[in-house]
Amino acid sequence: MKRILRYLRQSLSARLSLWVVFFATLVFLATLGVMFVQSRRAVRQEAMSRADQILDNTVQRVQTLLNRVEMAANNTAWLVSRHLDTPDSMFVYSRNILLNNPELNGCSIAFEPYHYPEWGRYFSAFSYNDNGTVLTTQEGNPHYEYFTYDWYQLAKLLDRPCWTEPFFDYNPEDIYSKDMIASFCQPIRDKEQRYIGTLSVDISLSWLSETISAVKPYPHSYSIMTGLGGTFFVHPDSTKLFYQTIFTETLETPDPDRTDLGHAMQRGEEGRRQLRLDGKDCYVFYKPLGDTGWSVAIVCPESDIFDGLNRMQRSITLIFILGLLLMLYVCSQIVSRELKPLSQLTRQIETISSGQLDQELPDNGRTDELGRLYKSFTDMQHSLVSYIDKMKQTTAAKAAIENELKVASDIQMSMVPRIFPAFPSRDDIDLYASMTPAKEVGGDLYDFFVQDETMYFCVGDVSGKGVPASLFMAVTRNLFRIFAQQGHNPESIATAINQFLSQDNNQNMFVTMFIGQIDLNTERMDFCNCGHNPPVLVVPGQPAQFLPIQYTNQPLGIMDGIPFRGESLADMRDKLLLIYTDGLNEAENPRHEQYGDDAVLEMLTQLGSLSAEEVISRLKESVEKHRAGAAPNDDLTLLCFRLK
Amino acid sequence: MKRILAPALLACVLLFSPAGAQAQKFIFTPQWTAQAQFAGYYVAQEKGFYKEAGLDVEIVHPSASQPAMNRISRNESHATTLMLPQAMEIIDNGIPLVNILQTSMNSGLVIVSRRNESPLKQRGMRLGTWSVGFDQLVIAMSLKENLDYQWVRFASGINLLLSGAIDATVAMSYNEYYQLMQAGLELTDTNVYRFCDHGYNVQEDGVYVTRAYFKKHKDEALRFAQASRRGWEWAAEHPDETLEIVMQYVRDGRVETNRILQKLMLDEILRLQVDRESGEREFRLRPDMVAQMNQLMVENQMLLNPVPYENIIAQ
Repeated sequence: MKRILRYLRQSLSARLSLWVVFFATLVFLATLGVMFVQSRRAVRQEAMSRADQILDNTVQRVQTLLNRVEMAANNTAWLVSRHLDTPDSMFVYSRNILLNNPELNGCSIAFEPYHYPEWGRYFSAFSYNDNGTVLTTQEGNPHYEYFTYDWYQLAKLLDRPCWTEPFFDYNPEDIYSKDMIASFCQPIRDKEQRYIGTLSVDISLSWLSETISAVKPYPHSYSIMTGLGGTFFVHPDSTKLFYQTIFTETLETPDPDRTDLGHAMQRGEEGRRQLRLDGKDCYVFYKPLGDTGWSVAIVCPESDIFDGLNRMQRSITLIFILGLLLMLYVCSQIVSRELKPLSQLTRQIETISSGQLDQELPDNGRTDELGRLYKSFTDMQHSLVSYIDKMKQTTAAKAAIENELKVASDIQMSMVPRIFPAFPSRDDIDLYASMTPAKEVGGDLYDFFVQDETMYFCVGDVSGKGVPASLFMAVTRNLFRIFAQQGHNPESIATAINQFLSQDNNQNMFVTMFIGQIDLNTERMDFCNCGHNPPVLVVPGQPAQFLPIQYTNQPLGIMDGIPFRGESLADMRDKLLLIYTDGLNEAENPRHEQYGDDAVLEMLTQLGSLSAEEVISRLKESVEKHRAGAAPNDDLTLLCFRLK
Repeated sequence: MKRILAPALLACVLLFSPAGAQAQKFIFTPQWTAQAQFAGYYVAQEKGFYKEAGLDVEIVHPSASQPAMNRISRNESHATTLMLPQAMEIIDNGIPLVNILQTSMNSGLVIVSRRNESPLKQRGMRLGTWSVGFDQLVIAMSLKENLDYQWVRFASGINLLLSGAIDATVAMSYNEYYQLMQAGLELTDTNVYRFCDHGYNVQEDGVYVTRAYFKKHKDEALRFAQASRRGWEWAAEHPDETLEIVMQYVRDGRVETNRILQKLMLDEILRLQVDRESGEREFRLRPDMVAQMNQLMVENQMLLNPVPYENIIAQ
């Protein structure tokens, strides 16, 4: 099962085919369902009409015979009533009725005990058909007291003509014989309309039974005839014939439907019912036989009625299933064929995606969606190849630039002193500096040197970043070195650099700068702050503080001719000074929160007693931690020293 | 009265029919055609109980021209079954009979009304009964209850009732009762009158021989009775197998019946053999029931004189 599901997940053609077949099945099922229901209804209606008609015809045929019997009996009864005075004539009448009506089995013209005293207790003129010969006799005797029999008593007690229940003909040597007969009997009355006897004519049930049994509208259908007591007088099962009634089985196993049917037939009703008989669902059509009290029924198993329809249903269902399987196969083939280019395309794309971009996509010549997909993909492939070529060129160019920038960076870095300890021969100066550009090259600068027992130093920050700033930085650093080596004080150096930078400054670049010099003998510091962040001063035993600056001055390179003013700090011994660019206090974390001046002061308060190198190292760690992985947003330059 | 005609005839015939003229074969004729009413005798025959008793028994069913009592009277049969009132009537008419085995301990007689109305409330209705008798208790009851029924005697069957020619019919609870039920008639406590529930619980079937035969062949008669009792006891213990044996006799006799009816009949017959008071199959004629029947029949002038218990039983 898992394999099948996996296959279906991986095969578009299989899924498409299944969906098509699924919906086709739904449509077919709905159509067939409606057709089957309608067909079934029509077949049932037709079967019922047919059975009703057959039953009507059968009953009519039997009724015709019974009517003939009744008519013959009536004619004879009229003759009998006119000749009651001559008992011998009764033998003639009973004989003649048989001679004139060969379908009759017997005729009794029987009278009440001692009606004819000369005949004694018994007088019943009886003629019967003995294999074609009509024999006549007086049948009453002590062993056959006819007036106790149904055929005699019914007419007497009911006081009207009537049919008896079918019964076995009398045989004096055996209570029952094989021949089943039924009698039509009617009362004989004297002139005063008093009952004096019964005229009875008998017919064999064999013809009637054959006529009814022959009714067989369906292969397994059968006909039955029941009497007043529900006894089967016609039934295909001979074990039930005469010995069982329609109710017999209900004595052991109650069956309300069967009981209801039996009662309806007993009441002489006409109708049809659907019920289960002998383990089969059947339709029973029933109709009374005139006034006899008998009822004829045709039992049609439902399977017979719907046999043709069921066979058709089976055939259609088989064809339907085969058709669906064929449809599934054909669909699968067609979809597979139609999607074959897609499979090829998929394989080729897989090849292309493995890196073989020059793989040619053959033109399949189609103009449909797949053709357009092919074309689009081919165009995409060409664009991709072209793009990748450009990318290669760009990458190569970029690599060259990066290489150059690396060289530039090296050059830039080489422009600032990077060898520490800065003054190995002197133990009175503890100085350390660090410059970390945000990009390959930066716009920060620092410098320091000792000349004539005076230490010159500066930290600057060029506006902008990258190569332009680095060039500007290089120029500024050189200018500082040139003017400082000439022994100028910081404000003169600033004035000179500003004058130089302001000339032809088409890019409007500028640099903030803190320029200072310390007389190592007096430990006095002169400085000029040109728009730069105020450095941090740490006096032992005190919290760190920004260096008090009276004159901030403008940044260098903005405007020529403006004087720069310097300041002095008398004693720098044992004091730590940190000069930095805004890459320190404005360092941002991913949430764009700046490191901040307070953090700088707090760190310096904590680190004030450490060496310059350790101060810078710890500061950089702290900033790195604050950035929390964010890229540096500006160049970071730190210069720290302490005079001992 | 027609009801005394048959016994009268029998009496005449008996006078000219010397008993014991037959050979050693013991011929038993039940009072009706083959059915479960006589299951015990069929069992005794088929299971060899008669043979074991040293009897060569032949069961010969009656016919229209050869009713059971006719066969007895002509000494063509040695034993028959009779209902107690019927036997008393015959004895009262001067034909000495001996009850050698009493099987029934209860009355199975019922009256079934066509309408759902008590037969006791239908005074003057047409009541069908058998032309051959078995109706002594019914007559006694109707006279006592002053019901003034119109009696319609029929040869057999239930058709008169079904067709509406009569209002009610006398029936046996093991025979016609089930035939009526099988004919779709609804039988309720209202339209069925059971004699046993109304102070008329009188024993019915027993095996009888003429006293003359009994005197001469007492040992044979008693052995027949003993083996027959054994047959009934076996039947009560093996109803299913008994039914098979009954159906065999039914088929041989081509009787208009069926297995279901015969099963119901067997169950009912076996039930009627259990005494209501003791709860056992006693196989004895109860003096109190004979006395009750005597009283009923004498009161209603159906007997000239009471038939003493001692005149019925084997002494």
